[in-house]
Amino acid sequence: MAETVLPEKTLPVSKKRGSKIRAKLETEAYFKWLLIIPLLLALVVFMLYPTFYCIFMGFTDYILRDAPNFVGFDNYRKILHDSVFWSAAGRTSLMVVTCIIVEITLGMSIAILLNREFKGQNVIRGLCFLPLLIMPLAMSMFWNYMLHAQFGIVNQILDWFGFDKILFFGKAKYALYTIMAIEIWRWLPFSIFVLLAGLKGLPKDQFEAANVDGASAWYKFRTLTLPMLKPLIIIIILLRTMWLIRTFDPLYGTTRAGNSTELLDWMVYRVSFVFFDIGQGSALAIFSLFVTIIICAILYRSLIKAMDQGH
Amino acid sequence: MKRVLFWLAIVIMLIMFVFPILWVYITSFKSPDDIFQADKIFFVPTFFNYQFLVETRPSLGQLWNSAILAVCSTVLVMIVAMPAAYSFARFNTGKGHLLFVTISTRMFPGVVAALPFFLVFRSLGLLDTHFGVILLYFYFNMSFATFLLYGFFKEIPVELEHAAMVDGYDRFSILGKVVFPLIKPGAAITAVFCLIWSWNEFFYAFLFTRRVAVPVSVGLSNFWGALQVQWGPMAALMGIAILPTLAAAWFMQRYIVRGLTFGAVKG
Repeated sequence: MAETVLPEKTLPVSKKRGSKIRAKLETEAYFKWLLIIPLLLALVVFMLYPTFYCIFMGFTDYILRDAPNFVGFDNYRKILHDSVFWSAAGRTSLMVVTCIIVEITLGMSIAILLNREFKGQNVIRGLCFLPLLIMPLAMSMFWNYMLHAQFGIVNQILDWFGFDKILFFGKAKYALYTIMAIEIWRWLPFSIFVLLAGLKGLPKDQFEAANVDGASAWYKFRTLTLPMLKPLIIIIILLRTMWLIRTFDPLYGTTRAGNSTELLDWMVYRVSFVFFDIGQGSALAIFSLFVTIIICAILYRSLIKAMDQGH
Repeated sequence: MKRVLFWLAIVIMLIMFVFPILWVYITSFKSPDDIFQADKIFFVPTFFNYQFLVETRPSLGQLWNSAILAVCSTVLVMIVAMPAAYSFARFNTGKGHLLFVTISTRMFPGVVAALPFFLVFRSLGLLDTHFGVILLYFYFNMSFATFLLYGFFKEIPVELEHAAMVDGYDRFSILGKVVFPLIKPGAAITAVFCLIWSWNEFFYAFLFTRRVAVPVSVGLSNFWGALQVQWGPMAALMGIAILPTLAAAWFMQRYIVRGLTFGAVKG
């Protein structure tokens, strides 16, 4: 990084348009900050302001129209004693853990399967990418149609094979898992292709040495592949955790938090935008932000550690 | 035998990923009666749903809104993110801390920002305006674009700039004549990602629009009426709404992994 920084004396002062201001701007210290000013302004307006607003409002009992009163940690106390909150938090954690485990195990298996040269590999790769960039709301609404109890194609296929129809969204027992399955359907290609990129970049010589020693495929996977792919796996966990904690669209497109599928983000939305309990909603939002930052910080540190070990 | 199993796995995987998308398009050509009969494999295709969209729904306007919101917010994002990313990449501005602060905006739950924005927008009269939604989309794409562009700027060899300096170019002409032509492909990829994220966005649009600035994602959710769901026209609009992103997924294959991991993994 250090070599990219230009020493200040090599800076030529433009002679054609060499006004004093311009010359000053071109010295590195000014120039680099000049470039970054718009972003800094945007950060202050769009990040600092909302965060501090929420932190502040989290300590008040503000419900639209009434003036906010300072209530200390009341909102947070209420949240911690709220069984609705704990079940939403529990469901969110269940969803984060389940989705990530399934995505990484399935993703790893498929990536290993695809890690070879075969006919039509580019076309197949392209087709697998399709779910990734699709509008999440649209696809979850359409899954709602496909999984419909009476006229959904999935239940029809089950019927053809002689199985009973399943009420995918109708039963509290299945609803959350159905939503997880929709999430997994969309994001599995992400895990597959991140891991595939890793597999393609593995150094060959160590594997050849292991082959000479007659190591089993499982042994090679466990002692060579897995440790080398560790940074990538942590990246997947980090990003997916961030995204899964904020699951909103798939809920809106399917159960709308009915049948005990309410997740954390939906609860914040419900409290702040349906009940307009700004104080409580802010406290919830800050809580969710806090948890996200802690988890991400832990994962980020282990990522840095894993990358250091790799070198 | 191994070959057969391999191809069987591939076929199952393809069916899993592609069939639901295919089914969107098949459903969009079904007549209102056929929609409710899943066992009817052969049906007479009809354009009824598309006709219905054009004639009785505000869907064309919503598609247009989505396009305006996506394009304007992306332009705004690029104007702010390009110089900032260059500064981060070339001068290590803020010693990495600032870059981390920037990226951490992406960790924020959308609702944290939504609440204060909603109240401010309400008092400024920005609710249900294109400008308001553009600002919101700018907010959530800004850090992503800066981070992705940072990676692309890092790949431009600094020696080129040094050479240009020796030739007597000043900083601004170096940016315009040396750096910009080299960053064009990276900038294009970043811009396409921003376009897709804005196009797909639902949460902010759902909270901040009512009638005027409604994009297609919110338009889709409106098919869920109180009495019945109009599956046919909904599928037709879905088919149109996901078409640009399907095309992007196909043509940007090489960069999707890189884009989704904020540039951390070069797929």
